[in-house]
Amino acid sequence: MTAEANNRAIRVMLVDDHAERAQLVEEHLIAAGFEVLSTISSATGLVFQIEQHEPDVVIIDLQSPDRDVLESLAIVNRHSPTAMVMFAHEDDPDYIREAVAAGISTYLTEGLNPARVRPVIEVAMAQFRSFQMLRKELVSTRSEMEDRTLIEKAKGLLMAQKRINENEAHKILTKLAMDNNQRLRNVAQTVVATLSTFDIRK
Amino acid sequence: MSDPQRLPKAEITELELGYMRLTDAAPLILAKEAGLFARYGLDVTLRREVSWANLRDKLVVGELDAAQLLAPLPMMTNLGAGGIRGSLLTGLALGLNGNAITLSNRVWETLGLSYPGAAPEPLQVVQQLHTQLEQTGQTITLATVHAFSMHTILLRRWLQAGGIDLDHDVRLLVLPPEQMCDSLARGVIDGFCVGEPWNTVAVEQGIGTVAASGYHLWNNAPEKVLGVTQQWHQSRPATHLRLRLAIMEACKQLTELDARENIAELMSQKCYLNLPVRLILPSLTGQFRFSKNDHAVSIPQFHVFWKYQAGFPWRSHARWILEQSEQLLGKTLSNEERHALVQQSWRPDLYREAARWLGEESPSRDIKAENEHGQEWEFEPGIVLGADQYIAVP
Repeated sequence: MTAEANNRAIRVMLVDDHAERAQLVEEHLIAAGFEVLSTISSATGLVFQIEQHEPDVVIIDLQSPDRDVLESLAIVNRHSPTAMVMFAHEDDPDYIREAVAAGISTYLTEGLNPARVRPVIEVAMAQFRSFQMLRKELVSTRSEMEDRTLIEKAKGLLMAQKRINENEAHKILTKLAMDNNQRLRNVAQTVVATLSTFDIRK
Repeated sequence: MSDPQRLPKAEITELELGYMRLTDAAPLILAKEAGLFARYGLDVTLRREVSWANLRDKLVVGELDAAQLLAPLPMMTNLGAGGIRGSLLTGLALGLNGNAITLSNRVWETLGLSYPGAAPEPLQVVQQLHTQLEQTGQTITLATVHAFSMHTILLRRWLQAGGIDLDHDVRLLVLPPEQMCDSLARGVIDGFCVGEPWNTVAVEQGIGTVAASGYHLWNNAPEKVLGVTQQWHQSRPATHLRLRLAIMEACKQLTELDARENIAELMSQKCYLNLPVRLILPSLTGQFRFSKNDHAVSIPQFHVFWKYQAGFPWRSHARWILEQSEQLLGKTLSNEERHALVQQSWRPDLYREAARWLGEESPSRDIKAENEHGQEWEFEPGIVLGADQYIAVP
């Protein structure tokens, strides 16, 4: 089986609970000439899936609890024809660091030439990374917007409370921030919290 | 108690410590919640991980500073078995015992196993299981949480003790702890050997009945250890010392029932075990129920965190674990290789160093005999150890 596997297109199985990301990885792997046998989420009977599809390579999300299952295949179930070993390039100490940072782990059938697997990992890792960056951007855009809303709210409360204009309210906030060595957002939060309770008590 | 002011200065103060969603993570969570890490000048963030493979990999690449590990993992990682190779060591064991073997109620019924009530005799149950499997020609599927774990080792020994052929009568596989009870309920597996709270969860859900507690399979067996990399230890010896001291103080506090009840409350929180207190309490208080309709049985040693030198990393334990793991690997190491691996991975000298700072006694020798004492005994003047009997494998 191994000699055969070393001559045909590498057959990949993806285990990822992020459907969106899995789709990205799958598309890119196919475009790069690899065969994607199936894309599954965790807890769907990984052992059974592997026995059925006999993948050459399994790419698995680092956050999947099924990693311990994969690693056991070579050990607990010695009759299993599908022993998988973790891809851990001994000559390339940075590889594992990169993989962990990208949030990915790779297992291959014993005997498969690791050099042939590296391109598969490159493609998957690149997609995991870009997905990560996309999410980070999304989170930071969202929090910027939340900051702005919070600051506007604090200004509004100050204006109503002290009967001042927006410009003056803004000055009070920035001065508070500077005096307390705090970010504008944090000062706004305190102001909103204090003045809102004040309102309720009134 | 030691005076943290007199300790060597910590090389780093911000640490990331990994653990799994298990009751025996109690000392780590207590050390955090009770401010013990802070007392030793450490700002520790606890990271809950989803797999042992993740703990190991993140430890090896330095994303975690230290981690709760299954006792066999430091040596297996040094061998590169199953995953990546990395030089890991432990200078502190995180407790003794803590596991149990549960069989689904369906198996108890279909195999006609008679449940002897309260706390069944483990040998009696497995012998009955063997007879029934032979008579019916059935096989069963049992799961553990990791190939290289005390769970796998204890389960295999229990089956062998009952005369069950590991290659023919039973199928062993690995499942994540969170999937155990669901798989048991659905009949994907017939039983499992896992750490708490997952046995209690199965009992309370009415889907499983405990066949043996870990304590009854091997009195005061090693279980989890605190793992760091060799390199991390060498470059941060003072930080490592402070970390061990904080955790040892937590372990000591956990000898009190009050502390155990409190930690169960804390651990039930969403960020830790995210389970009701009533599922965490039984193994911690030692009032353990084997079956839903039975009264609780007192097993005070279900988890031992401090008593009986529970934190001492016995090299004899390491040696025993290594020999059992070789069977799993299907590979035999030479005596020199075994010796080197044990010396490098299990560091009782580091335990003694910490014990001295705490003003506590610790064993002066690294090795003790097993299966010789049915009750507590004195190893050396002032050093009292627990029973050490285990189920006999023919």
